[in-house]
Amino acid sequence: MNRLCAWLLLAASVGAAQEARSIVEEAQRRTRTQSQRYEGTLEVIGSKGKIAVKRWRYERLGSHGSSKAVLRFTAPPEVKGVALLVHNHPDRASDQWMWTPALQRDRRIALQDRSTRFFGTDFSFEDLEERDVDQFDYRLAGEETVDGALSWKIEAEPKKTRASQYTRSLIWIRKDNYAWVQMEGYRGGRLIRRVRYLDLELVQGIWTARRLEVTDFTRNSRTVLRVDKLEYNVKLSPEEFTLQALRRES
Amino acid sequence: MIDLVEVSRHFDGKRQVVALDRVSLRIDKGEMVAIVGPSGSGKSTLLNLIGGLDRPTAGEIVIDGARLNGIDDDELTRIRRDKIGFIFQFFNLLPTLSCLENVALPLHLRGWPRKRIEARARELLELVGLGARLDHLPEELSGGERQRVAIARALSVYPPILLADEPTGNLDSHTGEEILALIRELHRRLGSTVLIVTHDPQIAASCPRRITLRDGRIVEDRRQ
Amino acid sequence: MRLARLIGWPYARKHVLRTCLTVAGIALGVAVFVAMHAANRAVLGGFERTVDRIAGAAQLQVTAGGFGFPEEVLERVQAVPEVRVAVPVIEAVVDTGLAGQGSLLILGVDMTGDRSLRQYDLESGEEAIIDDPLVFLAQPDSLIVTREFAERNRLEVGHRIPLMTMEGPKQFVVRGIMRPGGFGKAFGGNLAVMDIYAAQKMLGRGRRFDRIDVAVREGVPVERCQAALRAALGPGFEVEPPEARGAHFESMLRGYTFTVNISSLFALFIGMFIIYNSFQIAVTERRVEIGILRALGATQGQIRGLFLVESALLGATGAGLGVILGGAMAQLSAAYIGGLLEDVYGVAQHVEGAELGAPLIASSAALGVLASVLAAWIPSRAAARVDPVQALQKGKYQVLSVGENRARRRAAAASLAAALICLAAGRSAEAFYAGYLLAVLTAILLAPTLSLWLSKLLRPLLRWLRPVEGTLAADSLIHAPRRTSATVAALMLSLAMVIGFAGMAGAIYDSVTQWMDQVLNPDLFVNASGSISRRNFTFPASLAHEIERMEGVDQVQAVRHARVIFGGVPVSVVAADVEKLASKVRRIVIQGDLDEMYRLTAQGRGVIVSDNFADLRGVRLGDTIALPSPSGLVRLPVVGITRDYTDQQGSVLVDRSVYRRWWQEDSADVLRIYLKPGYSPERVRQRILEQFAARQRLFVLDNAEVRREILRLTDQWFGMTYNQIAVAVLVAVLGIVNTLTVSITDRRRELGVLQSVGGLRQQVRHTVWMEAVGIGLIGLVLGLALGAVNLYYTVEMVHRVAGLRIDYQYPWGVAALLVPGMLLVALASALWPAEKAVRGRLVEALEYE
Repeated sequence: MNRLCAWLLLAASVGAAQEARSIVEEAQRRTRTQSQRYEGTLEVIGSKGKIAVKRWRYERLGSHGSSKAVLRFTAPPEVKGVALLVHNHPDRASDQWMWTPALQRDRRIALQDRSTRFFGTDFSFEDLEERDVDQFDYRLAGEETVDGALSWKIEAEPKKTRASQYTRSLIWIRKDNYAWVQMEGYRGGRLIRRVRYLDLELVQGIWTARRLEVTDFTRNSRTVLRVDKLEYNVKLSPEEFTLQALRRES
Repeated sequence: MIDLVEVSRHFDGKRQVVALDRVSLRIDKGEMVAIVGPSGSGKSTLLNLIGGLDRPTAGEIVIDGARLNGIDDDELTRIRRDKIGFIFQFFNLLPTLSCLENVALPLHLRGWPRKRIEARARELLELVGLGARLDHLPEELSGGERQRVAIARALSVYPPILLADEPTGNLDSHTGEEILALIRELHRRLGSTVLIVTHDPQIAASCPRRITLRDGRIVEDRRQ
Repeated sequence: MRLARLIGWPYARKHVLRTCLTVAGIALGVAVFVAMHAANRAVLGGFERTVDRIAGAAQLQVTAGGFGFPEEVLERVQAVPEVRVAVPVIEAVVDTGLAGQGSLLILGVDMTGDRSLRQYDLESGEEAIIDDPLVFLAQPDSLIVTREFAERNRLEVGHRIPLMTMEGPKQFVVRGIMRPGGFGKAFGGNLAVMDIYAAQKMLGRGRRFDRIDVAVREGVPVERCQAALRAALGPGFEVEPPEARGAHFESMLRGYTFTVNISSLFALFIGMFIIYNSFQIAVTERRVEIGILRALGATQGQIRGLFLVESALLGATGAGLGVILGGAMAQLSAAYIGGLLEDVYGVAQHVEGAELGAPLIASSAALGVLASVLAAWIPSRAAARVDPVQALQKGKYQVLSVGENRARRRAAAASLAAALICLAAGRSAEAFYAGYLLAVLTAILLAPTLSLWLSKLLRPLLRWLRPVEGTLAADSLIHAPRRTSATVAALMLSLAMVIGFAGMAGAIYDSVTQWMDQVLNPDLFVNASGSISRRNFTFPASLAHEIERMEGVDQVQAVRHARVIFGGVPVSVVAADVEKLASKVRRIVIQGDLDEMYRLTAQGRGVIVSDNFADLRGVRLGDTIALPSPSGLVRLPVVGITRDYTDQQGSVLVDRSVYRRWWQEDSADVLRIYLKPGYSPERVRQRILEQFAARQRLFVLDNAEVRREILRLTDQWFGMTYNQIAVAVLVAVLGIVNTLTVSITDRRRELGVLQSVGGLRQQVRHTVWMEAVGIGLIGLVLGLALGAVNLYYTVEMVHRVAGLRIDYQYPWGVAALLVPGMLLVALASALWPAEKAVRGRLVEALEYE
């Protein structure tokens, strides 16, 4: 989940650290906030052009490494009320629980297989996880213009301690404001997934993409996430990010 | 006693064999007849037909007033067992039964009471001169003795007709004489009609009537 | 070979019927063998395929017996670093409630993780559900079914299926239809996938899982992961590859397979006698031919070869037919065994048609040929030893040489002595089975001598009945021992088998009845699953209290049954309120003091085990046994051994307090209800149904119904063996027909004489019939006698294999039925040969030399 936030919240720059790792570090620093809230609309465009829409409300407390988040579906009717609670940890995989109102039960979701798709979208669970700077090795692979903006092209490889579905990924970070503009994930040289960060806007001083477009090249389908009613540093209580709260608010 | 009208007997095989060819014959009560002829001339077939062991292909047979045509097996058997006694060349005694039992066999088959059977069987064995050998098995007897037992069995109910197929054929000439003498003696004493199939000219000569067959036909019928 | 074609073929053609009978003997034997094996394999294979398909990519499965385990275990499993994916599963077979659909395998899974193990290959469904497990999860009434099931029930996506859940009837909605093949073919396609929490609710499982399916992290050997999981979970859990379930299933079936194999071997063995008989006859009949061949320069080896090749050809023909027949029988048997397993053991499996497979075909063909050659061995040796000079002289040849008989008697004496030594030698399985074989061998060796003696004894009797026909029939038996004795031996064996089996079955029925009388005394049984052997659904213990408060109810005992793996074999653990039990049930004690064992068990200081558990697991009074539970091994001493037929692999009674503590659960699958005096079970049953049926899945059975059900299951268990025995008897009867057809040929002249001196056809028939009856009678006498011995070994074998101690009770009733029955059958088998005898041409018979 937090990974998503990380990408969403990349913001404008300080100085020009030329070394790849420090670029990524800087990008992460600039997106650090106390909390966040938004309403997301997800459109999954299948290979045959069929569109499925889901909506959710998202709240997050804390940032990178130790954040907690709740995602509650509001549409379509068959999933309305289903909620997801995520506890991120700096040192290990996140804990996730899901609440299903029809059963009045929560269940733990073990994120065991990182390549599993996130609830029918083109995101994988891994794509949505927080990607900590320290878990990868970086190499600057040049500069390219993406969506009209000059960006660093950085190659990231997971460290041995980190299990990833991608053997290699490419990240494009805008030189002018350190915002992520694109990410590509590869497995054994083959492009699996591309994420594009579009409609960048400065929200409460943070450069934020209002539209994310993910293309899954293995399935040839596309997911678009629109972010509305975005707020940073809203007042949220830690009690809202517990299982009890999850059950209560059904 | 025995009437045959145009009796034929064919055997169907790969090649049809005509064993008897339209034979007509009449034998009166009390006659003693020898049937002679070379092998394959139809002697035995004739005897089997008269004895009801076989059925003619065509023609009519009447035994002691009973027509054999068109009756079922069991009726045929009943006629056979009441009117006919058989004497075979190979005796056809049952090896596991004693002399007495062999002789008693037809009587048992008729369902006689045991006591009466026992008495009759003894009487018959004494008649053929084997009164002392009642409990012997056939294999313990000489050929002549066996044939005597067979004759005793054939006489069990004192049938009006006695049929003998080469009765001496399996015996040495001396014993053969004895058996023939016995048959003649019985013929005289019991007054039965006797038919003997033989190729022994001596036996044939000793019979009052001699019928010669060749290729299924009667070629000679001579009373002597 | 050429000799066989030249000499053997015309002979076989001349004796078409006998050849056919011989072939039929082997064919039936092989057929039973093939059918049993194919059916067994189909059942086992069906189970394994289902396990395999359901397991998907799972490499290991974590289980804790039939009780399942709390949900928390999943996290412990997922925390093991060697584990890549671990997903929970609930698996249960339930009645669909749809007419003609039988059972449905319900698979409860957690869709969020499950797709990494199982391919849900959906061909239709709401678009969303194919992609989004969320939709499936959010709607707990979702069901994915296979196309096969959907087609059979004319279901489409969006259709509703009513299913009876523990919370009353619920509508489920078909949200996806799986493509056939792979996973969708498991359990013959009668498969429905639902959310695991929905399944928990439906089956009354509480917050428990049945199983966790595990995929190992890449690059980690499965064994290492297995060891790591075992270390993490402790000894109360089984961590095994999916295939291990097949092995457990197999071990559960062991007793059944064993019985069935023994009787199929018997059938083959009896078939061998027919071959032996036919060849023995052929050798005597073809003496002259053999003599001529020998005179023309054939060696002994060639003569033996001739007969052996003939027997091999007959064997091969028989085996071929047997395989075909067996294949057909296997289909029926497999369905039968499948039903049996489901009913008796309550185990989910789905037979998908019995396929024979090349190895089975090859081995049964080999078996048929081998049996045939073996059976022809002695006759061909006899043929090789024919003296050409003697053979060409006509004479008697039927009588067994004195020497031959003496040699047999000596061998019999030696074999009897050896059998007795084995009997005395003690308890080892080898000695026991060797003794069994030797005892049977003794009987076979003595059969000719005994049958001769009996024929001689029979002669006066038959003679008295019918002076001519009877005497001749008896003489025919006496003077043709070769013709008679093998058939008598075959008959003896098959009847001994009947007696052994009937005695065993009778004793088992008796003790089951006695057990039911003493132990099964509640007035009503409330059952969650609808069948007394299925334990898929469970009640919360609170239901027992509610019912106990009802008017007229004196006591309710909540009982939970489930299997756990003990010593590699599934055994039943029965959790009951022992104090209550003690007040109502006087168990049949094998060892220990009943009150004392009740007291200790009720206090949670011991367990009471069934007698078969004690015997099969080698457990004695006072031993401490360790039962696996999710909280670790439950170590308790055996404080009593009682008779109990709950489970064929044995059962262990523990108090519910122990169950709650160690299994962390308080459910029941059966409530045993005792009524106060004066209340009618029928009324109380009605009231229970009125009060609970709407909100609770339950079935109420009265005492008589449960008893009937148990007896029905017992019947079913024996059913297959009944059929096999019927085949064995049929084979033996073929032997009678065979012997008689030979007999009427041998006796052709005799029968001709009989007719020529005035025997009516009926009288000829009588003598043939009487010979048949004579064979039947001798076979009966020997068979009933050998049956006494066989029963002894059967009783002992039941004790060894099934752990059941049953009394030795000679089944006089069955024996009394067998006498007229067998004689009638013998008579019936003589009808056709007798007709053939009277239809022969008289003149030929008389001239026959």
